[in-house]
Amino acid sequence: MKSIIKLFTLLTLVTFFSCDKDEPATTGSMEVEFDNIAIVNGIQQQLTMATPGSATYGYTNSLGQKFNINLLRYYISAIELEATDGKVYKDVLEATASGTKGYYLIDESKPASQVIELANLPSGKYNKITFTVGVDSTGVLNGATGGALDPATSKMFWNWNSGYIALKFEGQSDASNGGVSGAETITADNAKGMAYHIGGWKNIPGTAFVYNNKRISFDFDTDAIVDAKSSPHVHMTFDVLGLFNGHHKVDFTGNHNVHKPSDGVDIAHNMEESFSFDHIHQ
Amino acid sequence: MRLYLFAISLLLFTSCGKDDKDEASLFPKLPDYFPSPVYPLNENPITQDGFVLGKDLFNDPLLSSDNSVACSNCHVKAVAFTDPQHALSLGVNERSGIRNAPPIVNMAFMKEFMWDGGVVHLDFVPPNAIENPLEMDEKMAHVVAKLNRHSSYPGRFKKVFPTMDTITSPLLLKALAQFQLMLVSQASKYDKVRQGKSEFTATEARGYETYKQKCASCHTEPLFSNQQFFNNGLDTQFADEGRARITESALDLGKFKVPSLRNVVITAPYMHDGRFKDLNAVLEHYNNGVKYSATLAAQLQSGAKPGIALSVSEKADLIAFLSTLTDYELISDPRF
Repeated sequence: MKSIIKLFTLLTLVTFFSCDKDEPATTGSMEVEFDNIAIVNGIQQQLTMATPGSATYGYTNSLGQKFNINLLRYYISAIELEATDGKVYKDVLEATASGTKGYYLIDESKPASQVIELANLPSGKYNKITFTVGVDSTGVLNGATGGALDPATSKMFWNWNSGYIALKFEGQSDASNGGVSGAETITADNAKGMAYHIGGWKNIPGTAFVYNNKRISFDFDTDAIVDAKSSPHVHMTFDVLGLFNGHHKVDFTGNHNVHKPSDGVDIAHNMEESFSFDHIHQ
Repeated sequence: MRLYLFAISLLLFTSCGKDDKDEASLFPKLPDYFPSPVYPLNENPITQDGFVLGKDLFNDPLLSSDNSVACSNCHVKAVAFTDPQHALSLGVNERSGIRNAPPIVNMAFMKEFMWDGGVVHLDFVPPNAIENPLEMDEKMAHVVAKLNRHSSYPGRFKKVFPTMDTITSPLLLKALAQFQLMLVSQASKYDKVRQGKSEFTATEARGYETYKQKCASCHTEPLFSNQQFFNNGLDTQFADEGRARITESALDLGKFKVPSLRNVVITAPYMHDGRFKDLNAVLEHYNNGVKYSATLAAQLQSGAKPGIALSVSEKADLIAFLSTLTDYELISDPRF
């Protein structure tokens, strides 16, 4: 009899521990902003978007090819923050039919989408951020998902090769010879259209699958102090010109219609290097 | 005291543990030689209302751009949910697709879908037809909008997914999955023989032996597919790259997913492009038509020439055996 009581006491305790979240003494919040910019001659400029079909070109790549931007959208997921005491906060990842947690679709046309609110963050001094650009297997293999991953509203899903596009860029360039297919803002008859859909999430060693999602870390220049009274705002930047002018110089002639993982490798590499930590408002 | 602790334990278990009691409530009981479903049935429990909703959506041309093509156009129940007429799928405005519509049975047990395996979850199968310009040529967002302003669908979705106030694309796909998951083929004569409820004729039994010797390494029991990708020697140049389209590896050129042989007698035409009109043509391909290329399946290279040597009587026996894989209960089930 006693052993039964012990058993149930143990079960009860175990259940309590496995159920209850370990709440820290205090929590706070942090905002992480992704500001899409263009760095021209070393100077940060706010992006100017063009109307689809417009032949007005505000930007030039490093090969001297003029272009504009109609659409820019990318996923940020699996955010981790590291505190000065070494503790790591991992943003919860959840993908179900009723919604998502921890997947953020940054859309240049929707300012509100560019600020990620991390609530219920344990109080502490944070000095490092890590995130994934794109959606890894957890977000794909749960099947049809709502919220930020809803394929109908995000328009970031490849049906033919199930998975999420990590970054979608569409625009137009004088140097393009058109014929773009499967784009949102570029019609097939647009003779100057460009579509760069960068994806590929199958990170399986020993296979030919191309993995284009990027896991990136940045140290902060000052500590972001989170507590009940203080909610810092972390400012990240993404240089769109870096997509084409980075490590790989992208030629808009004949390489302007990217819709499969292998075609996106160079731009994915450039994409990784186009993110920067900028500053913190405490 | 003991009762008290017991009650607390129960309460906590109930509030915390996963509720498994509704798991796969409608999903059929499987023969003991079947594998477990790959699909996570506990994440999308099949209910009567959900299944019927999925069935009605499957049969509703509202899912296409001009409201003319339903899923069931190319996946006809009478022929195990495939298209008996067209080598290539036929979409809106009589547009011809690029591949043959496969029978959609036993989807619950599949890891990858489509001829090239590019789809990794059953939920993600339907948008391939819905959004393909050559098939239903519609946008998921527009289907969702049409459903939300429909006279009866909003109420029916609410009943199946009570926590959701509007119809969204994942709910549409979960409902369609509930219908597709129910299409389990497990009641053919072959199954009855395996369960000791029937017996093969002498010809069927000889065909089964030939099958086991010459076909089973790829068309493996009990699903009659090992779910892998092979080049079965149809071509030497590959207009359709097949599996290589997904893996982007030249080693996979011309490879396609091994189709199940269940219901094969009623699912003509055959191959990814529907090039063979009947099973005689298929068997003759393996006997005498297999073409060598760098990615040709090793299983087709064991003899003096590529292919699988089949005598006239072996072919007749095989067709008799394959006929025992037709599931008449499935194709006459009034629920579907």
